[in-house]
Amino acid sequence: MAASSSLDELIEALRCLPGVGPKSAQRMAYHLLQRDRRGAERLAQSLSGALERLRHCARCNNFSEDEVCSRCLSSRRDVTQLCVVEMPIDLNSMEQTHAFQGLYYVLMGRLSPLDGIGPRELAFERLLNRATDGLVKEVILATNFTNEGEATAHYLSELLSARGLKVSRMARGLPVGGELEFSDAITVAQAFIERRDYS
Amino acid sequence: MSQKLRVDGQTAFLLHSYPYSETSLIADVFSRDYGRLPLLARGARRPKSALRGLLIGFQPLELGWFGAGEVKTLAKAEWLGGIPLLAGRCLLLGYYLNELLISLLAREDAHPILFDSYVSALQALAHGAEDAPELRKFEVRLLRELGYGLRLETDAQTGSDIDATRRYLYQVERGPVPQVGAGDTAIDASVTGKTLLDMRADDYSDPVTRRESRRIMRQLISHHLGGRPLQSRRVYMELQGM
Repeated sequence: MAASSSLDELIEALRCLPGVGPKSAQRMAYHLLQRDRRGAERLAQSLSGALERLRHCARCNNFSEDEVCSRCLSSRRDVTQLCVVEMPIDLNSMEQTHAFQGLYYVLMGRLSPLDGIGPRELAFERLLNRATDGLVKEVILATNFTNEGEATAHYLSELLSARGLKVSRMARGLPVGGELEFSDAITVAQAFIERRDYS
Repeated sequence: MSQKLRVDGQTAFLLHSYPYSETSLIADVFSRDYGRLPLLARGARRPKSALRGLLIGFQPLELGWFGAGEVKTLAKAEWLGGIPLLAGRCLLLGYYLNELLISLLAREDAHPILFDSYVSALQALAHGAEDAPELRKFEVRLLRELGYGLRLETDAQTGSDIDATRRYLYQVERGPVPQVGAGDTAIDASVTGKTLLDMRADDYSDPVTRRESRRIMRQLISHHLGGRPLQSRRVYMELQGM
């Protein structure tokens, strides 16, 4: 009785993962218990370790074990540029480009008025404090090109420019190697509207 | 008994969407001929889904769906274009329109007139018209279309025509009644007859009309929402106040 209830609990717990429904949760639970008990132990330990030790970096708001994360402390990064992204995963995407040497700020969300997510929920004040440390000269807004991401970028740009910072927004348009024929109409339309001078 | 139906080629807008199961989402859409309804967009949250980036708010879409239950299944979606993407403050006003529709519109009630008014309001917002007229026109159309009896023609007490030069008190659920004596013109419900007539004629060129109509519409909408606060308004006010 007790065994089956902890099994049920494990299956139920695994369902909190994105993309995991009842069937896959069951499969995962049996796999961990039957075939990979050491893996299961490691998973359990690293999960509770992460929960215990990880917090938000005081400067970039990303997950960190220390008060300030190693990226924010690195002497190789350009402290005059601050890139604002919605989620930690967006930061990883930016880092993979090797195109940016500055620092980041992770909002951990986006403005979403219909879900009740506003500047208070996203702690806009924290970002404003971070960006006005006297070292940052330019803030690059790299929120997503969804309506929510655009709304977030718009309001941040107003708040940041009002504080004397240079504000830029990631460019939007056709992907590299993109062909008009195979691109979706809405992207082409917007790329056309936002066309730039060629001189 | 609802019948199994297949609908094609409907012009519609996405009002809001909610994640559903592992990779799908429920799209709350407002269509011209079938009103507001929830559609299950299968696989729309998969990284390579064709629907990703297409199911976007404030953009006219051509949708097709089928199904007999309350939640239909989205079968087809195409972007129609013709309305630029909303930007800046206008985006927040767009969310306000969507929240009004989500909060006040019953499901599967066709409102083509309201739909057309929504399109005009979005057009105006997309062209950067931040100001009240389009929102007021939409709010007036909304209350009238939903049968909330917005009374702008005659005085609710005597039934006589509204006199542009008089002041009225707009009473919720009743309509305008003449304001007695000098009265307090600062109270929310107090309006001039001219404001009421202007609202009926969709004429918001007068700043007094803009101010007074905003006040009474806010009061009426809040009443019809049963006092439930609008999230989009709260977020908007917070952002403006920063």
